[in-house]
Amino acid sequence: MELVPAVFPFIPLSIVLLLLGIVLIVLLEEKFAKWIALVFSGAVLVLSLVSLLYFDFSQAQKVQFYQSITLIEELRLSLSFGADGLSYLMYILTTLVSFVAICWSIRDHQINHRLKEYYAWFLLSESALVGVFTSWDMLVFYVFYELTLVPMFFVIGIWGYKLRLYSAYKFFVYIFVSSLFLLLGVVSIAVEHYRQFGKLSFSYFDLLQNQYSLAFGLFLFLLFFIAFAVKTPIVPFHTWLPDAHGEAPTAGSVVLAAILLKMGTYALLRFNIRLFPKVAVFLMPVLVLWGIATIIFASWFTISQSNVKRFVAYSSVSHMGFVVAGMFLLNKEGLRASIMEMFAHGLTSASLFMMAGFIYNRLHSFNMQALRGSIRFMPVFAVLTAITGFSSMGLPGGSSFWGKFLTIMGAKEYTLRLALLVLAGAFFSVLYVLYLLKTLYLDVKEEGRLVHFTDVRGFKLVAFLLVVVPMLLVGLLPFLFFAFFDAHIDLLLRMVLKSLGGGLWN
Amino acid sequence: MELKDLIQIEIPKLALFVPELIVLITGFVLFSLDLIYKRLSHTLAISVSVIGYTLALLYLVFNFDLRGETFYGLYVRDSFSSLLQVFMILLTIILLAFTLQYQRFKRSLYGEFYYLLSFSLLGGMVLASSYNLLLIYIALEAVSVSFYILTALQRGDFTSKEGAFKYLILGGLAIALASYGAVFLYIYAGSFDLRHVLHFNAPDKSFLILGLVFFLFGLAIKIGVVPFHFWLPDAYQGAPTPITAYMSSVGKIAFFAPVLRVMPLVQESFHNTWVLVVGTLAVITFLYGNFVALVQKDVKRMLAYSSIAHSGYILAGVSVANAIGLKAVIYFLLAYSIMGMLGFLVLAVLERSGNWENKLEDFDGLKHSQGFMAWVFAIALLSLLGIPPTVGFLIKALIFMSLAYGKLWWVGILMIVGVGVSTGYYLRLVVLMFMKERERRAIANPTGFERASMVLMAVSLLILGILPMLLWNYISPTSEMLFRR
Repeated sequence: MELVPAVFPFIPLSIVLLLLGIVLIVLLEEKFAKWIALVFSGAVLVLSLVSLLYFDFSQAQKVQFYQSITLIEELRLSLSFGADGLSYLMYILTTLVSFVAICWSIRDHQINHRLKEYYAWFLLSESALVGVFTSWDMLVFYVFYELTLVPMFFVIGIWGYKLRLYSAYKFFVYIFVSSLFLLLGVVSIAVEHYRQFGKLSFSYFDLLQNQYSLAFGLFLFLLFFIAFAVKTPIVPFHTWLPDAHGEAPTAGSVVLAAILLKMGTYALLRFNIRLFPKVAVFLMPVLVLWGIATIIFASWFTISQSNVKRFVAYSSVSHMGFVVAGMFLLNKEGLRASIMEMFAHGLTSASLFMMAGFIYNRLHSFNMQALRGSIRFMPVFAVLTAITGFSSMGLPGGSSFWGKFLTIMGAKEYTLRLALLVLAGAFFSVLYVLYLLKTLYLDVKEEGRLVHFTDVRGFKLVAFLLVVVPMLLVGLLPFLFFAFFDAHIDLLLRMVLKSLGGGLWN
Repeated sequence: MELKDLIQIEIPKLALFVPELIVLITGFVLFSLDLIYKRLSHTLAISVSVIGYTLALLYLVFNFDLRGETFYGLYVRDSFSSLLQVFMILLTIILLAFTLQYQRFKRSLYGEFYYLLSFSLLGGMVLASSYNLLLIYIALEAVSVSFYILTALQRGDFTSKEGAFKYLILGGLAIALASYGAVFLYIYAGSFDLRHVLHFNAPDKSFLILGLVFFLFGLAIKIGVVPFHFWLPDAYQGAPTPITAYMSSVGKIAFFAPVLRVMPLVQESFHNTWVLVVGTLAVITFLYGNFVALVQKDVKRMLAYSSIAHSGYILAGVSVANAIGLKAVIYFLLAYSIMGMLGFLVLAVLERSGNWENKLEDFDGLKHSQGFMAWVFAIALLSLLGIPPTVGFLIKALIFMSLAYGKLWWVGILMIVGVGVSTGYYLRLVVLMFMKERERRAIANPTGFERASMVLMAVSLLILGILPMLLWNYISPTSEMLFRR
């Protein structure tokens, strides 16, 4: 793996800026907190967009902006940051969605106390997330991975809705316990590197050289997989998600759904497939079917929800099913679909949660039925919701279209039946979005009983636009995004093939 | 060995022994002060202690490279002993910031306190620097006897007496077992020096195994390893809280020191037995500690069980008798001594508020009434749980690493279960402090010294987690040195 050193420390600077923001928030008065958070996370967003100019798309498979400081020489433990195309896409998603979340919080009625802490936690969460997607040292990756847990735990527990304590507990325990398996896995492969090469190392690039027997590889794969399957989540492990997403304040749900879930899928792609390609091939049929099962079951769960927020939360699970199924198809279309869906779902789920939060601000209820028809007095909100809904559904031109379409194409490369199964999943996901849109638009109450609400405006409109515009961009100009990760996919597929050179069982 | 080697007369190299001497003299000065003055001035006693310990600490720090053996090999000064002693003395000095207010509030101000502290510290320092079973035995007694009395210091309190009594009886058993083990080891190798004993290669190893088992079980009682832990929760709960903090930090370092000296000497021939016995004890200890801590209503008792669980994690590292395991264990031990102590010291301050009973309910909404204490306690708890970037995370990662190195997957997986269970009770406190709202009466304010010490400890938990090389660069050569013995 080639490294391109940084011309300018974009990534470390983002993290440092955010930490500086936290310090300022803690030191200054409470009334400045929101503006400091807005300025600093805005600055980081601008920084990440400026860095686009310096990103070399012709060699997107290489790790660019690479910088490294050694922490413990003996363990080869180092703080190393950098981004290849995939990481880079996630980095931009993180800075964008975090900014959106803070933008939204400024006018959110739910956020009316302990503002200093609130915005400090959000900046901490953003900095940890940037760290997760750009760290190339496995132990440091783990540190950031765990660190994202703490801010969200407090955000859910302090500013959440009725069941917030229960949900915060559940969220923390599920993720923390599952990620302990990851920790054992991470140190195990470092030790395995020592066995094979005589040196301990936590560096991702060193660890790529390890060779594993199928049985041991399977064991390590499972250690990693448990953590990421709970985080992603895949169906039997998803039970923390509706509670956490349902009870968190709007901005919390936005960050949770749009970025935190991507940590799981990103890590599956980055670690499980890259480090254990043989095992990934070995388990491919199981994992693809598991992904498809996740799509179908989660869609059914979604349709049966009456609470808008839980509805959106379950729909996230079904989208993650597409990501997992596409990823483990291990062909070009599947991987493209998977990464596109990761990015697209980041945008649509953010928008959907803001929609739910907006409804709650107006009605003080998450019950979908209550809003029936009122949407006619809120044209802007109606348009935004329609774009989001159709995007999420996978209408051509919408952002999720590419994820779904390419997964089906990828599945067709194996057998038609598999493609039909994915198609069935896609069908159910259309069904629940249509149900949502129908309730909002078409179930009209009698004229006299309609309530007039103010439309989306100000900061909330900015927040909506910041996700809806990229959503259209993804849908209409997908090749812009393929440029980020196509090279990475080629590299990955080459590696998988190479690892199979000696046959699966060697 | 020839006769002239045996009767060679050695002039004691006192330079190696200066820190202990200083602490010993401090102890005697405090003792005399207590005898002379009917009403001992506590400021005087504390000043004398702090000056004495600081001198010892400075001597140690400036002569950190001091190496050698003296008293015919009874006493060994190496980087291991220096490292452990620095921590023990530092923590004792920090402790002194907390005792006066607490004991004044609890009406348990006695002069004994100061010199018993010195003597137990002295015992701990000697424990950290000897391979000789006899000296270890004497030092064990010095630490333990001081601890019995310190535990019972709250004379009016029944739980204090009960705890001390249980401690006394089981502690006596421990000493008996350890000395019995020492005798077996002597029969086996004809020497009290652990290095000779463990390197001695007789065809019949039964006495070695028997002796080691008895000796280590004796230490296990002192450490509080399940199933020998019954005294620990009672003694920890009954003792005045600063003393609990002291026992869980300095006491733990002291009692673990001989175990860590034995660990690198484990030979190939009984390596498997060692792994099996210590590994099993470790698993039982951390599982039991965590599960029982989960149902405690009393926070002090809960932290006592968490201390048992942490002994279990340390033992898990000990069971992998290799260099990485030893490094992990030393780092863990030193880091835990800070976290454990901080946890109990927070309680020591909070107990000074009226009506405070260390119950879980008492912590409701602590963030609103005493934000500083809540934050410090939260850092200690998150560190005990093992959340990055606190040091608690790093030490668990190191233990996992040593387990992966020894291929002890079963211990690793069970440790995940143990840590997972511990989430329940650490997190509950964080939730109570930060997420419950409650109108409260006044909560005790920490004094300036207390505040400074707590900030120092909390910050050091973060620093040791973020910049591990600060401590690692001392630990790594130390453990390699121990393996060369």
